[in-house]
Amino acid sequence: MKIQTLSSKKSIFNGLIAVIAVTLFSGCEDVIQVDVINNSPKIVVDAFVNNQLDTQTIRLTRSIGYFDSTGKEPAISNAQVAVVDQTTAIPKLFVFSYANNGKYQFVPNPVTGDTFSVGHDYALLVVVDKDTLVSFSRLNPTTVIDSLHLVDVEGNGPPNNTTGKYVELYANDRVGQGDFYWIKTFRNDSFSNSINQLNTSADMGNTSNGQDGKLFIYPVRYNQVNDFSRSYKTGETVRLEIHSINAVVFGWFNLVINENRNGGLFATPPANIFSNVISFNPNKKVPVGGCFCMSAVCSASVTIP
Amino acid sequence: MRRTLFTLFTFFLIHASFAQNLTLSGYVKDSLNRETLIKAQIVGTTPSGLEFRSSTNSYGFFSITLPSGPIQITVAAAAHQIFTESFDITQNIERNYYLAPESDQIGTVTIKAKKNDNVKSLDISTQSISGQTIKKIPALLGEADVIKSIQLLPGVTTVGEGASGFNVRGGSIDQNLVLMDEAPVFNSAHLFGFFSIFNPDAVKDVELVKGGIPANYGGRLSSTLDVKTRDGNKRKYQANGGVGTIFSRFTLEGPLTKPNIKDFKKPLKTPAKSSFIVSGRRSYIDLLAKPFLPENLAGSQFYFYDLTAKANYSYKRDNIYISTYIGDDVFKAAGLFGVKWGNTTATARWNHVFNKRLFSNFTYYYSRYRYNLEFTNRDVTFNWKSNIVNNSAKVDFNYFLNPKNTVAFGAQSTYYRFIPGEAQAKSSSLDLKFGLPDRYAVENAVYISDDWNANGRFSIRAGIRVSQFAYMGPGKVYLFNREPGKQGVLDSTYSTTKGQVVANYINPEPRLGFKYQLNKNSAIKGGYNRMVQNLHLISNTAASVPFDVWQPTTNNVKPEIADQIAIGYFKNFGKANNYETNIEGYYKKLQNQVDYVDGASLLLNELLEADLLNGIGRAYGMEVYIKKNNGKLTGWVSYTLARSERQVTGINDGNWYPNRFDRKHNLYIVSQYQFNQKWEFAANFVFSTGTPATFYTGQYSVQGYVVPDAGSNARNNVRNPTYHRLDLSATYTRKKSKDFESFWVFSCYNAYNRRNPFSIYFSTNYKDQGQNAAIRYSVIGSIIPAVSYNFKF
Repeated sequence: MKIQTLSSKKSIFNGLIAVIAVTLFSGCEDVIQVDVINNSPKIVVDAFVNNQLDTQTIRLTRSIGYFDSTGKEPAISNAQVAVVDQTTAIPKLFVFSYANNGKYQFVPNPVTGDTFSVGHDYALLVVVDKDTLVSFSRLNPTTVIDSLHLVDVEGNGPPNNTTGKYVELYANDRVGQGDFYWIKTFRNDSFSNSINQLNTSADMGNTSNGQDGKLFIYPVRYNQVNDFSRSYKTGETVRLEIHSINAVVFGWFNLVINENRNGGLFATPPANIFSNVISFNPNKKVPVGGCFCMSAVCSASVTIP
Repeated sequence: MRRTLFTLFTFFLIHASFAQNLTLSGYVKDSLNRETLIKAQIVGTTPSGLEFRSSTNSYGFFSITLPSGPIQITVAAAAHQIFTESFDITQNIERNYYLAPESDQIGTVTIKAKKNDNVKSLDISTQSISGQTIKKIPALLGEADVIKSIQLLPGVTTVGEGASGFNVRGGSIDQNLVLMDEAPVFNSAHLFGFFSIFNPDAVKDVELVKGGIPANYGGRLSSTLDVKTRDGNKRKYQANGGVGTIFSRFTLEGPLTKPNIKDFKKPLKTPAKSSFIVSGRRSYIDLLAKPFLPENLAGSQFYFYDLTAKANYSYKRDNIYISTYIGDDVFKAAGLFGVKWGNTTATARWNHVFNKRLFSNFTYYYSRYRYNLEFTNRDVTFNWKSNIVNNSAKVDFNYFLNPKNTVAFGAQSTYYRFIPGEAQAKSSSLDLKFGLPDRYAVENAVYISDDWNANGRFSIRAGIRVSQFAYMGPGKVYLFNREPGKQGVLDSTYSTTKGQVVANYINPEPRLGFKYQLNKNSAIKGGYNRMVQNLHLISNTAASVPFDVWQPTTNNVKPEIADQIAIGYFKNFGKANNYETNIEGYYKKLQNQVDYVDGASLLLNELLEADLLNGIGRAYGMEVYIKKNNGKLTGWVSYTLARSERQVTGINDGNWYPNRFDRKHNLYIVSQYQFNQKWEFAANFVFSTGTPATFYTGQYSVQGYVVPDAGSNARNNVRNPTYHRLDLSATYTRKKSKDFESFWVFSCYNAYNRRNPFSIYFSTNYKDQGQNAAIRYSVIGSIIPAVSYNFKF
């Protein structure tokens, strides 16, 4: 055995090995030009309505090309929009009237009883040009927030530069299986709409696995609540809202998360994101995107001392 | 079932005793290391020119029935010198043949007439590669690899570098039955598919069967990859190994019964009764990288290893083999995450020669595939593991009935246990265990097949396999309300007790092959097979990953079924028949193909079956293969024109769409050039049509989130760019001493620096710059040179 020969040779290309290792395992990414044509823009329905008393908004636009960097989606201003309560003895109509930028609004009025109620089934009706779009959603009950805790985190330098205060949510899932939630974070009343903070939960966790009625799991309670590139400063206010959603909307949010966080070696092929809003005319399929959801909301806020 | 087998068995025994011709039987082995030789040809020729043929089975055993009187026996095997003898056969003879290797040193080229095995055998759509050939093909980082070599054969494709497994004739990767010494391997990939788990130093022979699949194989739709390990040198102790850029290998082999060191260099006068081989590999990137890692990653582990071991013992008419494989891939960033996956297999086999014509093999194997995922969040550690375990017993008989018929029959029973996911969340204050219930199944099969040589020109292989699969308790059974093409809605569940059968499927699987010999050098062959598959790998990534879910056939998931016909024209030509060609066409129809609803969540999903859709598939194509066997320049050119499509209600508006591994044109050129005794050069060229993909066309926003939009309901509507690549290698063999031999391999993968896309994915708000982008992801984006040093003594 000529082990000595081996070891002396080995040292010669140790450097080479290191270079190769880096090349091989990092893979490589570059931005390329792809010609895609958005030849059939969709009617987009953004209809998240809740049982709170502030102004409720439904937005109608048309989709734009994937590489359109203006981000300006054409507003649809000539539609008729209404939500119908199907649970009341006589179906009750809530008409949303056009405001601006594709927004149709309705102001609830507790005095006249014009509010959205937990447990009721609602239908969305939209008439655009000659097309009628419909969707259905039950207004499910939400849970309650026990408290918000502040957590001091000491970062250890880039990339884990997370020193500062963060929020942890203490709330239990409702007892019984089949509860779905959308947890929204507001920093100083401004909604954090980063995809990394798109925070949903099926019962206690990210997927339905039979766990029920206890504290939300850690990622839901903490990781997806915070933006770890920005800790909270003294005087800032954090508000968390838990919106009840349903299985279909939970699935819809999951698709949005998957499609936005995709990439790398384990990338899944782009999937179509369905819409729970459908065209009423079965013979003429109008392409529709977006989502309709009725929610109950609970919230809690804390000001950083 | 047992009674039928017994009757058959008795019939053959009785029949044997009444046979009138004489039988020559025994083993064919390598003269130097006494390895048994698979598919060696034994031809008996009478003075009047009558030919009788037989070949060795996968354990090197043959039996040939001959008329009494003078006979000339010719024995030939790949890469070995031909042996010829003449004698008078007057009684049944048991005799072993020892063939000398074609070249006893690297660099000697022997030119010999080929025996036209490819034309004369009944096998269609079948390709063998020996361990030696695999070592000569230029490989990534100079590491010879079984699966990478397979991917250069006609009809075989891959999704790309970094993809586990391989695709055969438009089938998905789980539709290949990968066997290692009879035991199935569930994930053949190391390092996400850059390397395969088979250590080429321990591999004797690899056979890929793509069509006309014989009845002794079953359980997967597309192909069988049968990897047989070496027995180990029975003459002397031998070590070989290599130091490469990624990992090192070491193999030790030798006789078990002569442990005396003094006999080390003496050739044994009689073959040893037993031998062993132990072969191991370990990567060492982590060890090399350790000094350069930042402090917070200091405890990181990043390696893979495998160990292949085998021992055998022969006594008179019995041979016993015990073999095992253990391998793991471990990637762990301390305190952040860790993944680990690996296979374990163990096989025990007993060959018994009942009489000169009846050979039997009894096998018991255990095979397990498992993976672990672990990540840590502040003080909470989340750990998840998943397993698929199976235990199987089987028996196979080869009955050399008479000169015209060779019968194979047998039975197999397998018990499966699936652990789809056991998860644990643990911290100082919390210890939460959850997961999915285990699942159990039993699979049984019986088969019989006859190779009938009707006359000199026409022969038929007809067989049938009957398989039965029972999905059983204990466990939880889910019933869904289903609308075609939609996610199922849970209706109810119930619990089952141990052994309670939830769903039972019995499927007959007819197999047929024929050969018509046009003349000495050419033949037409055809084959039909029905295959049934009861294990389904559920994956929705561009390439398969170690964490894909193995799902049994259940009350909700039906067995996959494939019917394939293949027809081919085989011809050898050239001086000394050194060119081997064939052209084959095939058509495959598939039922109960498993697909999934858009955005299905596959991991730790108790209601996974609700997300699965059921569809049909078709695959068809043509393969052309030209191989030069001898001379200074050897190698092959293979071209495949193929299509693989699916139709699933709920996907692509119910229209046919291409499978994600569909590639229309595939051209592979593999060549080796022996320059002189010291230098050998090799080159590969690969050209393949890009894989299909779904691309986004539009976008919109809802609640402030960007929603990318693929427009219609299309799937796989766009093609990724073409894949092509050239690899080069040079091997320098050092002048060896009597006992020591070494060679350096210099290789260059992706020689002209092509940036082949593995996938193209889309990023909304790419790098937070507010702009959407299409990203080309190339696993290998540059030239990869490498050096490895190999030795043998």
